[in-house]
Amino acid sequence: MKRGQWIAIFVIVVAAVGLVATNLGAGDDAEVVAQPAAEQPAADQPPTKAAGTAPRSETPPFFGQAGDLVELDGWLQSDATAFSDFDGTVRVVQFWTLSCINCKRTIPNLSALYAEFEPQGLEMIGVHSPEFDFEKDPVTIQQAAIDLNVTWPIALDTEKKNFRSWQEGRRFWPRTFVLDQNGEIRFDRIGEGAYEDLNATVAYLIQNGP
Amino acid sequence: MIPLLLEGFESAFLPCSLILLIPGAAAAIAARQESNSALSGFVAGSLVFAWLRFSGRGGDLPLGLVALLLAVSVVLLVIPLVRRLNLVSGAGGLLTGIATGVLWEPCVSTEFGALLAELPDRGASGFGLTAVYMAGVLAPVLLLGAVLHLIPSPALILARPVMLFAGAGVLAMLAVATAAGLTDNIIGQLVEWSIT
Repeated sequence: MKRGQWIAIFVIVVAAVGLVATNLGAGDDAEVVAQPAAEQPAADQPPTKAAGTAPRSETPPFFGQAGDLVELDGWLQSDATAFSDFDGTVRVVQFWTLSCINCKRTIPNLSALYAEFEPQGLEMIGVHSPEFDFEKDPVTIQQAAIDLNVTWPIALDTEKKNFRSWQEGRRFWPRTFVLDQNGEIRFDRIGEGAYEDLNATVAYLIQNGP
Repeated sequence: MIPLLLEGFESAFLPCSLILLIPGAAAAIAARQESNSALSGFVAGSLVFAWLRFSGRGGDLPLGLVALLLAVSVVLLVIPLVRRLNLVSGAGGLLTGIATGVLWEPCVSTEFGALLAELPDRGASGFGLTAVYMAGVLAPVLLLGAVLHLIPSPALILARPVMLFAGAGVLAMLAVATAAGLTDNIIGQLVEWSIT
């Protein structure tokens, strides 16, 4: 590759930096500007408070029967001893780890969803599957839960056995599932986003059953 | 495509991309005046193996083999010190790219998450979109390659021994760490430092 081509790459990358900086700046500004109370958040922007979520108009798809959570190293913020303690309820199950930035970004929406639907029977379970050794200490996980405002039960999947069995072949943090009252998976999302779909699926299952 | 590219670029500055960027930079630096060949190989290797893994088409190599690939890449990248061989540097970069494509656990934001959901069912378009995302993630390494080529040749010649030691040294340490099963510990330590 000639020097001129490398200069072109340099210019393109610098331009991309400018674009990202502009994009991030716009996001910061958007947080400062007050939004009308009735305005709904965009599908991929996490809402920060419960907003009277409308259920989806169509039946949520079926993705198969969910597995169990096995060989856990215990639970935090719960008296549960087994995943079956939550049988018969609508469950949001998220595989996460405390240093994962994308997991952290989903928490405001999960908090709002939990606050809205927990009184109506929603159970939320964060399955903590550590990527690195420093994320394995339950004291560190508990502190992270406090710092991140994670108030729902946390299942300790220290050896990532459930992380692997629930995500055969392709494994990512975060991975969010919604299980209906029969234990069928009705929502499956890799990464951030799809908050509107997640919330509407939970609302549908709470209101209409499986 | 632009949101996907920008999301990749944002990920380049997050700890999850360290395992991709550090070896990529090391390969470019170790290859010195052949950094363009090494980087071309690196981009190709990491892209193909990341796509294979993320689309569920394979690509999960045993750690012992990954360590071997890294060790061979060090040898290949060192050779051009004696003789200028584009192909050898490219092969060194390719092996480094394959190894890091296997080791990389990506950040998954909104756009990339949506792509991952569709990737098993997408063919060439999925590969193309993965390439767009990775162009963003790898931008700092490509920028480094551009900077290396903007350095005047005499200065580059003077810096050769230092660049060789630094680049090849990092890759050699990574090879040893991978063989010993310590890659997660090292990356974990870097991640812990970066978030505290």
